[in-house]
Amino acid sequence: MKKTLTLILIAAILTLSLVPVLTACNNGGGIGGLRGMDTLVIYNWEDYIDPSILDDFCAYYEEVTGDALSITYTTFDTNETMMTKVLKNDCDVDLICPSDYSIQRLMQADTLLSQKAVYEELKPQLDELGLDFKALSSIREDNGYIEEKVVERITGAFSSIECINGETYNMKEFMVPYFYGTLGILYNVNYVTVEELEEYGWGVLWNVQENEELENMILMKDSVRDTYAACLFYMHDYNLFPEGYEQFNIESGHEYTTDYIDSLINCTDDAVLNRAEEILTEQREHISGYEVDFGKDDMLNETVYADFAWSGDALWAIEESYDEETEEYMLDYFVPSTCSNIWFDGWVIPKTVKNKLAAMMFLDYISQPLGGIRNSMEVGYTSSVSKDIINFDDETSDPELAENAQEARDYIEECEYLLESEYEWEEVCSDEDYQAGTNIPDGFASWDEYFDSLEEEVYFNEDEETWGYDGELVEEGYFDDLRRYPVIDNTLGMMQDFGSQNDALVQMWQTAKSGSHVDYSLYIVIGVIIGVVGLGILAYVISQKAKLIPKKRK
Amino acid sequence: MKKIKFRKLKLTKKVFSFPYILFMLLFVVIPLVLILVNAFLDADNNLTLENFKDFFASDANIIVLGNSLLVGVITTMLCLILGYPVSYILSKMPSGKIIVLLYIIPMGVNFLIRTLATKAIFLAIGVELGMGTVVFGMVYNYLPFMILPLHTSLSSIDHSYIEAAQDLGADKATTFVKTILPLSVSGICSGITMVFIPTISTYAISQLLSNGKVFLFGDSIQLSFEQGLYGVGSIMSIVMLIFVLVSNLIMNTFNKDANLVRRSVW
Repeated sequence: MKKTLTLILIAAILTLSLVPVLTACNNGGGIGGLRGMDTLVIYNWEDYIDPSILDDFCAYYEEVTGDALSITYTTFDTNETMMTKVLKNDCDVDLICPSDYSIQRLMQADTLLSQKAVYEELKPQLDELGLDFKALSSIREDNGYIEEKVVERITGAFSSIECINGETYNMKEFMVPYFYGTLGILYNVNYVTVEELEEYGWGVLWNVQENEELENMILMKDSVRDTYAACLFYMHDYNLFPEGYEQFNIESGHEYTTDYIDSLINCTDDAVLNRAEEILTEQREHISGYEVDFGKDDMLNETVYADFAWSGDALWAIEESYDEETEEYMLDYFVPSTCSNIWFDGWVIPKTVKNKLAAMMFLDYISQPLGGIRNSMEVGYTSSVSKDIINFDDETSDPELAENAQEARDYIEECEYLLESEYEWEEVCSDEDYQAGTNIPDGFASWDEYFDSLEEEVYFNEDEETWGYDGELVEEGYFDDLRRYPVIDNTLGMMQDFGSQNDALVQMWQTAKSGSHVDYSLYIVIGVIIGVVGLGILAYVISQKAKLIPKKRK
Repeated sequence: MKKIKFRKLKLTKKVFSFPYILFMLLFVVIPLVLILVNAFLDADNNLTLENFKDFFASDANIIVLGNSLLVGVITTMLCLILGYPVSYILSKMPSGKIIVLLYIIPMGVNFLIRTLATKAIFLAIGVELGMGTVVFGMVYNYLPFMILPLHTSLSSIDHSYIEAAQDLGADKATTFVKTILPLSVSGICSGITMVFIPTISTYAISQLLSNGKVFLFGDSIQLSFEQGLYGVGSIMSIVMLIFVLVSNLIMNTFNKDANLVRRSVW
C-alpha cells in the first residue's frame, strides 16, 4: 500500500512539474523578460513586419519613457490557429494582428479592449509624456493617418457588432488597420491576355474562354472563405445564382452600392452554398490545384499560368518576375471590374494586455508614414497609412509629420520606386515660337487656342524648355499603381464573419474538394495489379511445366 | 535487512518505467479520451449524437474514406510486390544487411523534404500532378517500412528448412511456396500493418503531390480541426482508429495462423 502511495506521489509531482510547461503560451522564452525592463508581446502573421522596426521602436520607447523595453515577437499562420488560442484564453499577448472577420469574432467573444477606452485611461500619463497618438484611427474622429476610404468601409460593414456581454460595439474603436488589399487574378502575360481578362473576368479562373494553354494551369486558394468569394463573383458575372437570388446576377441590372456588394459577398444561404458546391466541383476539372503559400513560386517557375491571389502577394511576385534582358515583367495582376473583395488586417489589443502604454505607442509608431512604408516595402502589401499623409509636405502646420513623411518618401526612392509617374514628353512647340506667336498651325489664332483644341493638357516643361504634354507612360509611380492603391469604390465588398453558417460553408468546401464520386481509376489499378501478379505466376508455372516436358521425353 | 534491500530494488526498477507510462497517459490516453468526448459534444458543449449523423449522412465523407482506403490498399500491394523480391534476394546475399541499410538511410531525411523533392522532380520532368503522383509518393515513402520487417523475417529463416525441402525433392517454386512463404508470413503481416495504417491516415503527401486536388481522409480530418469543427473531426478520427484496430486484428489472426503453420512444419 505504501509503495503505491509513493508511486502516486511521484507521478503527481512529475505531472505538476509538467503543467507549467504544457500550459505556457508560445511566448518563445520571452516570458517576463529581464528584470526592471518593460515588455511588449506581439502576436502577428509570419513575415508580416520589417523586423528592424522592432529594435527602432525599443529605442524610441526608451527615449520617450526612459524605460528599456524588450519585445517578444511571436507568429501565427492562420486566423483559426490564432483565434483558438485567444478564445481559450491561452495567450498572454499585448497586440494581435487578425484579419477583418476574425476581429469581428474576437469582439463578439468579448476578448478585445476598446482602444478608445485604453486611450482615455492612459490620458494623464500620455499628457505627461507629451504623446497624443495623432495617427490612430481608433481614437480619432478624423481617422488619424489611416486611409479614410478604408476606415469608411470598415465602419460601414462592422459598425454594430453584438458582443456576448449584450453591448453593441463599433469595430473602428477596437482596431487600427495595418495592411489592406484586394483579391484578384495573378497571371502570366505570355499565356493570358488583358483582353481575355477584361472580357471574361472571374470566368478566367474556370477557364470559360477555353484557352487550351490555361487548362489545368490555374491555382485556387486552399482557404474556404477566399475561394468561396471567387465563386460568388463568378456566379454574379455569369448569372448563376439560383432561384430567389436573381438580384445578385449581373443581368438583373442592379445598381452598385456598398450595401449591395457587401450583401453579395456575405451571402451564405443554403441554396447559394449548394450552387457554389456544384460550381467548385466543376472547377476541379480545369485547375491544377489549391495552394496557400506556394502559388507565387509556381507562377514564377511557370508551372502554372494563373493564380487567384491577394494583391500584396501578387505585387511581390510581379517584382520578382522582372526580366532584366527583355526589361519586361512576366506576371501581372488583374482585378475584374465587376466585383471583388477588399480585405484588411488590423491591430487589436486583447484583454490579456499587460503593457497598454507600449502597445498603443507601438501602434502609433507603425502608423506613421515612415513606419507604414517600411513595413510595406518589406512585406509587399499596401500600408493602410493614407497616401495623402505620406505625401504631406506642409512644414508650417505640422513640421513633425512633414519630416516623417519626407523620410518615408526618401525611403520609397531608396527602394528604387518612383514617387511620381514618368511619361514620354510630347513636344508641341518651342518656347520661342510660343512667346513670339510664330509657326502657329493653320486655322488657329494663337498657340493657346491650339493648345485648347488638343485633348491632352499642354504645359511648359522647365527642363526641356518647351511646351507639350505627357505621352506614353514610361514608369508608374509608387502611388499611381492601381494594383497597389486600388480605387475603393462600390465594386469592392467587405467580407464578414459567416457566424452560424460557417460550419455549413466548411461542409460545402469539404464536399467540393472530395469530388462527386470515388475515383474509379483506383479500382482499375487494383485490378491491374492483381492481374499482372496473377499473369506473372501463371507464366512462371507454365514455363516450369514446359521445362519439365522435354526432360520427360529424354 | 536483506529483504528490505531487495524490495527497494524492485521498487526502483518499476519506477524507471514511470516516465514512459506518464508520457503515454499525457500524450496518448488523454488525447484519445478528449477525442471520444468531443465526438459526443456539439459547438455549445451539449451532449449530442448529431456529429455521427453529420458524418455518415454526408456522401463527401464516405467518398473521401473510400478513396483513402483504395489508395491505402494500392500502396500496400505495390509495396509488397516491390519489397518482397528485394528482401528475398537481399536475405540470400552475404552483404544483404549493408544494402538494406542503404534502403533505410533515406528514411533519416524528413519525409516532408523528400516529398517536396519528389514534387520538384515531377515538375521538372513535366509529369502532371494527380492521383498517380500521390500513389508514387506513398509507395516511395513507405517502401522501407515494408522491406525492413520482410528482410528481418526472411533472413531469420533457418536454412535447413529449405535444404530439407530440396532434399525431399521439391523444385524451386515448391520450396518457395511451401517453406519460405509460410515462414515469412509474420514479416508480411507486420509489413502490411506498417504500410497500410500510415497510408490511410497520411495527409501531407497527398496535399503536396497533387496540389491539394487529391483529398484524402487525413486531409479531411485536418481541415475539420483547422476550421473548428471538433465534433465531426473527432468522429473521423474515431472511424480511422476503428480501421486501424480492425486491420491490426486481421493481421494478428493471420500471424497466429502463420505461427501454427510454423509449428506444424516443426
